[in-house]
Amino acid sequence: METRPKIALFQCKWCLYSQPDQNWVDNDLPSSMYLVKLPCTGRINPLYILNAAQGGADGIVISGCLPEKCHYKEGNLSALRQHEEFLNFLDYIGYERSRVRFVWLDLQDRGRIQKELADFEAEIAKLGKAKVLATRTNVSPGGQYA
Amino acid sequence: MVDAARHPRIDVRTFTEVEKVEGFVGNFKVTLREKAKYVIADRCNGCGDCARVCPIEVPNYFDMNLAPRKAAYVPMSQSVPLVYNIDLDACIHCYKCVDACGALEAIDFSQEDKLVEEDIGAMIVATGFSHFDPSVMEEYGYSRYPNVITSMEMERLNNSAGPTAGNLIRPSDNKNPQKLAFINCVGSRDKRYNPSCSNFCCMYSIKNAILLKQMNPNVDITIYYIDIRTPSKGYEEFYDRAREMGIHFSQGRPSLITEDPETHNLFVHSEDVTLGKVMEKEYDMVMLNQAAVPQPDQNHMSSVLNVAQSPGGWFMEYHPKLRPIDSPTDGVFFAGACQGPKDIPSSVAQGSAASSRASRILQSDHWEIEPTVAVVFPERCSATTRGRACGICAKACPYGAINIFSPEIPAEVVTAKCHGCGACVAECPEDAITQLHFTDAQILAQMRAVLADKPEEKILAFRCHWCSYGGADLAGTSHFEYTANERGLRVMCSARMDTDFIYEAYRLGAGAVLYSGCHPQDCHYITGQLIGAKRASRLEKIFERMKMTDGRFRVEWISAAEGDKYARVLNEMQAVLDDIPMDDLKAEIEQLKPEMSKRLKKFPGVPGVQEAMDYSDILVDAITKQKEAA
Amino acid sequence: MNHEPIGSLFVDEVKAIPGGEFVEMCYSCGTCVSKCMIQQKGEPEFNPRRLLRMVMMEMKDESFDSKTTWLCSACDLCYPACPQKIHISGVIHAVKSLAVKNDKKTIQNTAVVDQQTCVACGLCVEACPYEAIKIIETKVPYRGIINVASVDSGLCMACGTCSAVCRSTSIGVPEEFTDESVVEGLWTWLQSQGVED
Repeated sequence: METRPKIALFQCKWCLYSQPDQNWVDNDLPSSMYLVKLPCTGRINPLYILNAAQGGADGIVISGCLPEKCHYKEGNLSALRQHEEFLNFLDYIGYERSRVRFVWLDLQDRGRIQKELADFEAEIAKLGKAKVLATRTNVSPGGQYA
Repeated sequence: MVDAARHPRIDVRTFTEVEKVEGFVGNFKVTLREKAKYVIADRCNGCGDCARVCPIEVPNYFDMNLAPRKAAYVPMSQSVPLVYNIDLDACIHCYKCVDACGALEAIDFSQEDKLVEEDIGAMIVATGFSHFDPSVMEEYGYSRYPNVITSMEMERLNNSAGPTAGNLIRPSDNKNPQKLAFINCVGSRDKRYNPSCSNFCCMYSIKNAILLKQMNPNVDITIYYIDIRTPSKGYEEFYDRAREMGIHFSQGRPSLITEDPETHNLFVHSEDVTLGKVMEKEYDMVMLNQAAVPQPDQNHMSSVLNVAQSPGGWFMEYHPKLRPIDSPTDGVFFAGACQGPKDIPSSVAQGSAASSRASRILQSDHWEIEPTVAVVFPERCSATTRGRACGICAKACPYGAINIFSPEIPAEVVTAKCHGCGACVAECPEDAITQLHFTDAQILAQMRAVLADKPEEKILAFRCHWCSYGGADLAGTSHFEYTANERGLRVMCSARMDTDFIYEAYRLGAGAVLYSGCHPQDCHYITGQLIGAKRASRLEKIFERMKMTDGRFRVEWISAAEGDKYARVLNEMQAVLDDIPMDDLKAEIEQLKPEMSKRLKKFPGVPGVQEAMDYSDILVDAITKQKEAA
Repeated sequence: MNHEPIGSLFVDEVKAIPGGEFVEMCYSCGTCVSKCMIQQKGEPEFNPRRLLRMVMMEMKDESFDSKTTWLCSACDLCYPACPQKIHISGVIHAVKSLAVKNDKKTIQNTAVVDQQTCVACGLCVEACPYEAIKIIETKVPYRGIINVASVDSGLCMACGTCSAVCRSTSIGVPEEFTDESVVEGLWTWLQSQGVED
């Protein structure tokens, strides 16, 4: 039986504006997808992405507000800057860049997240399973707010 | 319209533009461009055979481009006169229409635009208004979502002679919509587009809602509004009727419309202001009530007719309360929405009023104007003295009343066009123009009289007749106290306040001078204030260079409603004078006198000024002696 | 006709602060509220229109206690939509700065620095969209007087960007989730999807 690619979805809690779409993401996401809801895409620690990659996720979607419409002024730009850098590193250790996708969503994009996810799933299916990276250590990241 | 066309003394010219207007009230020479229709109007009987055979279809702008028309067409079935017209931009010259017309031989492809000159006594401008294009408002998605339509499109879809024969359908799937939203104030009351209220849209959307509800009581209509404005007689009752019929009203301006990509249903996001809660409601169709905006070629018309425009772009009336039908140019009147958004009753009322104003001109042999007109001394004009007319007066005139035909012939004032602002008089570098009843000599005599005694304590206030003088009056009648040292001098416009007067006032030793007039948009003489303001800022710079104490020369624009401002400005000027020790002030006045005299070298040469000076010297002496004796 | 001025009004105080000038231009159309995501994402009391109204109606204490004053993140979605061109977040900021002056505290959890591990690299200072973080010389127990990051709780809007960029995990916003719980959740899900190794 062919298994569906595993996709981790990081979502900023202010984007995906329209209510039905939000309900769908909150409740009806297929089991091959996993939702992490954060206050802002800027809150996504590269650690999360690394862990998802190490854990064997086949694709990662980051969905946030449009560049000028960030709820925290420019948190999403900070995220973009940081993750573009981080993706170079992932690419280097063998996790292809094309497995990570940024989706900027607007209030007017009713029903777009479903399409984006389906499209991304098809693309990942074409790429096949992700290379198994060294699995993570069970050491806690440390620090008070880790 | 048919009645008007059949009237023996009414001549309807369609497809004709005003090209040029010359002359003045009662004697206008108007050049009209009669555009080629490619159909001979006298021969066409309106049978429509040409349209039937025409193979070309283009969008019909009268149906808001919702339906096609042929290249041979009449704009609408009720057109008057019923003469077909060939749209040469679309025509492919197959000449099928010529064959279809047959023996009538009404079609003539050799026609060209014709320029016709007519003698006109008075003109009524009724060019109407245009509609705001809501596609620039991205949030409403007009032109992106098929089911978002404008009020004019609704009007055509709803009309029994329209493209759907009155069957209201949604553009996406041709089904009858059951849930409709009307959004008011699209582009109006919006500082990003048009800050003003479009006047009739509230009633208009209620009318449309009632019409739809009468045709099909099952439709569900919600009107989104900011405020419902029902100011006239019977309007509030009409609004009540709409509520009785079950039309919903929701206060709150929608911020966004989203569309379901499958069904093309629309979701209107708005806050219900009464509940303080954001709602997202689904509708089959949304109608945007666009703002009324001036015609796209309103600027062009205003320069052709020489009438001013208000800040919003509409034509400006002579006086907003007392003469709302007249334009600032005599013999030109406004009817309807070209002067500002208006509903039908007001437009009809203004049209009737305009025609009666115009008939007053047509029935009289002579025409009374203000007596304060400008007069040229031909022997002083630079055309005579130096053989080269400078043309400064013609440039300054807001009415185009001064003709300069050639450099050798002195400027000539068309008295019938002159409104007596005095801009030309003050601007003329040769002092070759004077204004009757406000000659330099008369104003000078007044200045000398008020500055005869202790001039250094006096504040000389130049007030324009229409605004600042009224403001000073209001300050008096509302008992706003201001300094008793003020001495007011009335001229017709701030444009008349000659630099010579200001220099002369300081030469006579005035403590301070106020230069006051209307606010730019209120000027009674179209652009008079602008000329005055330009001169005032020049003067301010000159006095700054002379190192005159700040505040001794002051420029303020004070309207007739700003009595408090007039009093405040005068009191502030008095405070400035009080702050300077009297000896210092006197020393400064003495020190600047030679500068002023230098600039006034030509002034005594102005006709009548020397006599006025001599005469006022005698008077001043007499006054001083009388005071000393007392 | 000489009347004494009636003392300072709250609305005048707000108008005196840059950003708050045009508060009285609001005609309560509600566009800003329907643009705002805070109300639609679960804070029904949040209403900028009502806050502007409160300022106009001299409701000083109520406006200081209002959630709107503290939760607005100045995303300025409403500003381009306002038909009266009122900079609404500017007005809210003016009310907030008055509230801070009156010793009111924000109702949000703001970012906290672990002074024991902070190395004062300045990454968070650059990342913070609100310029709420500064490097300040502080006396820290066991470490002496050293440079550490310090958060201005009046400016912090609790977005957490600082915690994402921090390389020594010494700054963060106390939230219902931690880095650990996010990673743990991801891991559990991946395990449940049948990862062998």
